[in-house]
Amino acid sequence: MSAVVRATGVAKRWGATTALDGVTLEVGRGVTGLLGANGAGKTTLLGLVLGLHRPDGGQLEVLGLDPAEAGPEIRARVGYSPEHHVLPPDVHAQDLVRHLAEVHGLPKREATGRASDALWQVGLGEERFRPIGTMSTGQKQRVKLAQALVHDPALILLDEPTDGLDPVQRDDMLALIRRVGGEFGIDVVLSSHLLEEVERICDGAVILAEGRVVAAGTLDELRGPDRGLVVEVDDRADVVADGLRRRGGEVTLDGIRLLVSGRDEGIYDDVLEAVTEAGVGLRRLQPATVSLEQVFLGLSSPGSKQ
Amino acid sequence: MSDARILDRGYRRYDGPRHGLRGAMRSLAAHSAQRALGLRRPLSSKLFPVLSVVIAYLPALVFVGMAAFLPDDLIEQDLLPSYPEYYGFVTSAIIVFTAFVAPEVLCPDRRNGLLGLYLASPLDRNTYLLSKAASVMGVLGLVTTGPLVLLLLAYTFEGSGPDGPDDFLLLLVRIVVAGTLVSAVYASISLAASSATDRRAFASAGVILLLLVSSIVTAIAVEEVDGPEWLWCFNLIAMPFELAQHVFGAGAEMEDSTGLTFASVLGANLAWTAAASAFVWVRYRKLAVTR
Repeated sequence: MSAVVRATGVAKRWGATTALDGVTLEVGRGVTGLLGANGAGKTTLLGLVLGLHRPDGGQLEVLGLDPAEAGPEIRARVGYSPEHHVLPPDVHAQDLVRHLAEVHGLPKREATGRASDALWQVGLGEERFRPIGTMSTGQKQRVKLAQALVHDPALILLDEPTDGLDPVQRDDMLALIRRVGGEFGIDVVLSSHLLEEVERICDGAVILAEGRVVAAGTLDELRGPDRGLVVEVDDRADVVADGLRRRGGEVTLDGIRLLVSGRDEGIYDDVLEAVTEAGVGLRRLQPATVSLEQVFLGLSSPGSKQ
Repeated sequence: MSDARILDRGYRRYDGPRHGLRGAMRSLAAHSAQRALGLRRPLSSKLFPVLSVVIAYLPALVFVGMAAFLPDDLIEQDLLPSYPEYYGFVTSAIIVFTAFVAPEVLCPDRRNGLLGLYLASPLDRNTYLLSKAASVMGVLGLVTTGPLVLLLLAYTFEGSGPDGPDDFLLLLVRIVVAGTLVSAVYASISLAASSATDRRAFASAGVILLLLVSSIVTAIAVEEVDGPEWLWCFNLIAMPFELAQHVFGAGAEMEDSTGLTFASVLGANLAWTAAASAFVWVRYRKLAVTR
């Protein structure tokens, strides 16, 4: 089983509102980003994955099971960290995480040990006996992550896990999520509207817009084929461009920066020769990449939907 | 040089047994009961439940003491209350405890959003509510059943209890059944009030108000306005205890009895329990869970 979540034509309506409209996707191993603006259908999709709602159409498979029929079995093997702060303020972190481990089926003794371990793993080992209400936002987010992984789930769903964190806390949290998806070997679905987060730690992404999947795949697939090279010289960029064109390259000139199309390995030799021939200094030479933001904006623009 | 070193165990996978839905329900019920009793919580959270339980047991301890130290002839003059009569001494404690327990068990999960985490576990709305109801019933049992069991055991050890093991068992069964019935009615009513708001104080006030108003209005309707006796069925304080009296075989002979038949009393209590439970179920079925 390579896909942990597989949806085929899944539809869900809330009254007159269509939340999901024929969603077809596969979420593979590792960390997968679920991207979309507010109202795109991310939370509805997570609810369907957890078996909390029944789809109005289509087929959904989570960990090889149908969530509409096997909701409790799936939820026992899935960890979930919700977007909102949902932790009782007067309970110790250790007690809450242990209790939620038991609710997910772990025996009491094992739940106690694993609650401590999970809180250590998220960096709250020393703080685990503090009431949650006395913790900072970053610590509360870590408690939410600890409760999601304490029962050793096969899949973790994280809904906006960096919400309310400062940049340093956000970096730490993203590193932690990367560890969960890599070192811990737990597949992760990260629901976020922050493209940069997904780009930093995810292996793949699903982009939703108005209840439809507008793109899905690994980040490399989403960015598309290699776009060539970005070349930046210190002077006479037009001369370098002419030299490259004579060598058969397609060149777009933008000030002292040139975008050279093509993925032939010989392109590096051509650039070197053209720059040497022009007698200018080379400031930058790097593959031309497309950010996820460019992909997202391109897909979200009018008339671009599939 | 010391050989001590920090051992990083890393992340441990778990492939041991999982208790599934039943384990989840058991854990939720136990955790909720602990919460209602203030266990593993700050001292201020323990004060009220401990006080209520003490008030419920205090008369029992006094009667046990009386049975132990007073001469037998005084005891035989019905100085000590019968088992069903004991409820009369602790009605207030039971009602106050009822008004406190269910709101404590149900409201915070909705108020702080923890309900969303529970519904992301093997629990669903029905099994969540069943666990909560079991928890409330269990905690209420501390004041509806516990003091009478204490009385029974103490009287028996003092030699003033039931005659023989058969009578003892029969009485024990009656105590448990009566306590369970009283707990069931009050649990459902207080759960219904708690499902209507996510603020504990409002729910508690609502429970007390509902019970008092029903009691006052029916008393006026029957005794002052000479209304029909079946109006007692709407008295939410009298009905559960009247049912308990019938379970002990006392029924209409009790001094404060409404005079209704066992079937009427049973039917009224079942109706109230069913209506309140249905209200809770509908409320949670329609509840949009914050996630």
